[in-house]
Amino acid sequence: MDKGLLAYLLIPLLSAVIIPFAARTRPKMADILANVTLLAGLANLLWLALRPSMIAGGFADIPGDGLSLLLVAAVYLVGLCVTFFSAYFIEEGLPNRPAYYSLLLVSVAAMTGVVTTTDFFTLYVFIEVLAVTSFALITTDDSSAGIEGALKYFFLTFPASVLIIVGIAILMMTLGSLSYENLRLFMASDAPAGPVTFASALIMLGFIVKSGVVPFHTWTPDAYQGAYAPVSAHLAGIVTKISGVYAIIKLATLLRFFDGRAQALSEMLMFLGMLSIAVGALAALKQTNFKRMLAFSSISQIGYIVLAAGLGTPLAIMGAVFHLINHATFKTVLFLNSASLEKSTGTTDMDKLGGMEHSMPWTSWTSIVALLSTAGVPPLSGFWSKLLIILALWESGLRVYAVLALLFSIVTLAYFMMMQKKVFFGKKTPASERVQEVSAPLLAPVVLMSAIIVALGLLFPYFYAYVKVVAERIIL
Amino acid sequence: MDLPIQMLITAVAVPVFGAFLIPIAAKVSVPTRNAFAVLLGLFTFFAAASLMKLVVGGQTASWTLAFPRGFDLILHADMLSVFMASISAFVSAIILIYSLDYISHYDNQTEYYAMVVLFLGSMMGLVFSASLLWMYVFWEMTGFASWRLVGFFRSDKDVAKANKTILVTVFGALCMLVGIIMIYFDYGTLDLRALHGQAISYAAAGFILVGILSKSATLPFSTWLPDAGVAPSTVTSLLHAAVLVKIGVYAYARIFGVTFAAPDGFSTAVLYIAGASALVSAGAALIDTDIKRIIAYSTISQLAFIFLGLASGNKTAFAGALLYILMHSIAKAGLFLCAGIIEQNAHTKDINQMGGLFSSMPVTGAAFALCSLSVMGIPPFGGFFSKFMVFSGAAQNGNLPVLLMFLAGAVMTLLYLVRLFYKIFLGEPGGHGNPKEGSYTMVASVMALALIGLALGALIYYPSAYTELLTNNLGVNLQ
Repeated sequence: MDKGLLAYLLIPLLSAVIIPFAARTRPKMADILANVTLLAGLANLLWLALRPSMIAGGFADIPGDGLSLLLVAAVYLVGLCVTFFSAYFIEEGLPNRPAYYSLLLVSVAAMTGVVTTTDFFTLYVFIEVLAVTSFALITTDDSSAGIEGALKYFFLTFPASVLIIVGIAILMMTLGSLSYENLRLFMASDAPAGPVTFASALIMLGFIVKSGVVPFHTWTPDAYQGAYAPVSAHLAGIVTKISGVYAIIKLATLLRFFDGRAQALSEMLMFLGMLSIAVGALAALKQTNFKRMLAFSSISQIGYIVLAAGLGTPLAIMGAVFHLINHATFKTVLFLNSASLEKSTGTTDMDKLGGMEHSMPWTSWTSIVALLSTAGVPPLSGFWSKLLIILALWESGLRVYAVLALLFSIVTLAYFMMMQKKVFFGKKTPASERVQEVSAPLLAPVVLMSAIIVALGLLFPYFYAYVKVVAERIIL
Repeated sequence: MDLPIQMLITAVAVPVFGAFLIPIAAKVSVPTRNAFAVLLGLFTFFAAASLMKLVVGGQTASWTLAFPRGFDLILHADMLSVFMASISAFVSAIILIYSLDYISHYDNQTEYYAMVVLFLGSMMGLVFSASLLWMYVFWEMTGFASWRLVGFFRSDKDVAKANKTILVTVFGALCMLVGIIMIYFDYGTLDLRALHGQAISYAAAGFILVGILSKSATLPFSTWLPDAGVAPSTVTSLLHAAVLVKIGVYAYARIFGVTFAAPDGFSTAVLYIAGASALVSAGAALIDTDIKRIIAYSTISQLAFIFLGLASGNKTAFAGALLYILMHSIAKAGLFLCAGIIEQNAHTKDINQMGGLFSSMPVTGAAFALCSLSVMGIPPFGGFFSKFMVFSGAAQNGNLPVLLMFLAGAVMTLLYLVRLFYKIFLGEPGGHGNPKEGSYTMVASVMALALIGLALGALIYYPSAYTELLTNNLGVNLQ
């Protein structure tokens, strides 16, 4: 456990316990407590990472490996956006309001645990906590779609947990320890790696299922579409990234893909990543539901991260981490916007919407910023992360992957252009008549996230310096 | 920091960042917003033109903003970039002035002004950028602005055409990025100054060419340009005549003309592609009946002549092609803006429903005629000299089939423009609407462009001396 960051795990957990008591007589207390907890944590983290002396020193003094800190900050940021949005989104009469916020905070605490732990057993525990909270969160509004989504999530991700625990058991038997460090040292030695790679492959497979990489992607669209609107932003924005993709990146570095160990695993991972990019993007073209399209878009974008993680060179890991952060920002914007649309019009069916740009200009423009970043249009943040990934692929001689990954950006752009045309341009439809922009508090999180997208793009040198430190520490 | 470097930075930064202040200016009042937009346009032009003296004196100015991995943002003023920036900014400023009346009764005006200025700023960035990666960055930004501008009217048809525009050009740009990555790994740098005189591989050149052809709407990527004519005439003249499509030819001049030595056979292939493009689009211009589509086809055809000059591989043709960029920008912008006046007052874009409009809009008619003559290449208009230089250079190159294709293209230019003028202004009145002359600023804008075209012909010594000096100083591998 990275003890320096332990407080970021414990405090939300504590708040989660307090909330049901505090909110017994005054339900609003739940909102306030959750938001204050996350805001305080985020402010703290930002000071830790972005204080002027740290930037001036090129982030050389960042505590730990830097990656945990960065991801905890991302978890808090997305968590805060979701809780703030929820405070104004959920109806007054929602019976389990305190439970909802408690679950969100437990989920944040579990994610913090996932990214700060240094051994596989703790990782497994937090992954399971996260899975249970997500499962409960999906059903917040107890509609039949929510139940269906939750069940699909359950049936597909719990077998994944079985794979992970079996893999961990074999690892324990062969390696005698479950700490990351031991696996790293073992892979660095010349010992024959057979059983250890097999165990790692099982664990990796479990996390591949949990990230929703093709061909194990079928649960994500249903879960995201069925989930309660802010929850889908939480799930797509950060939960699947932390519970799946982060672990894949971590394993890729521990297995030393960069110096050619576990070659077969590395190649398989890259192939699945490329497949995800292609299948996700092409499937997104055909969707008519906004949230479903976003879910397929997530599958496609996760493909980029997995592709880079599978390559595993320092540059690729930098690209993967950068893209993970970017994906958290732009997907949160798009999912929260879909929630706003749902609130204003009662539907996320793109064929029933139209001409929203004048009635909801902020939603329209923040969507444009987020979609351009997703499609990798410069100078937004998504461009730089994709560029790093593609340069890494090219550098390692994988030119076909590089060109394909680049050209699939055009498909990404195409489905988003169709979305923008159907939802925001064109004629008003019956569903979008007399619609008004959602209130300012609901817009604040998306505007903040859009600003981050633009800022990360323009301040790329600083962010690059940071992820460079991260890559140096986790790979060497 | 020296004054020229400050001017260089402001020429890019002021329009790029100013564009985002236009919505704020719009909160104050509509006239404030309009005045602010026009001021941004004029300021950009003066900033770019102020560098002219420096570069003619044989100096250059550069400014670098460090980015990791050799992705530095480098702004560099040399003869070519200042030449291109001044033309683009000048035409954009005229278009902004013309817009004041033209779009005053449509929706989304604030977005329109913001996007035109953002487009202008991205164009400045692209032209002044001496790093291939940043050329790409600004390239995509112009694509974004043109997406919003082509989709200015928000019907399904308009937005679909806008999407087509951005998808075709972004596809090309991504291919170009592949080429840029190849160069990055071959030479370890993207700084065009350091790459001067290097050889370029076929593959990298081919990928970059795809990007150039798609942006310049040359075969086989030409179809988006006529379709994009659904946009307001100001937009079409900005994007399709004067500025956006010139990005492709500028990039060709910059990358294959003054930086890399293009591989053998590559230029010949470009000549044949351009020849086919000139013929096919001129043929389309002869039979179409939509005034803006005809002018758009004519643009595709004329761009091919610029490629002819750039790819012919000798100094006369290269200098002629640069001159051609100038003449064509002025004249074609004039034609599109005239089309805007005609369309707004005759309430149709179908030339079969027009006719006899000369009596009701004589000034527009005169401007249209003057601009047409320049595009045709009739002496003493500026267009004559550029076309003459391009042809004489191409003749020196001695590729007879290509020369014949372009001669046919030039004759067809004459035919379709005469047909267009006759159908619109002469003949029996079509009796459509109640045509009248456009507003004062609109007519003044088109007349100014027409007269500048004439003046450039009369004073041809100065621009041609400039382009010849440019070719001598910067050209690579030219005979």
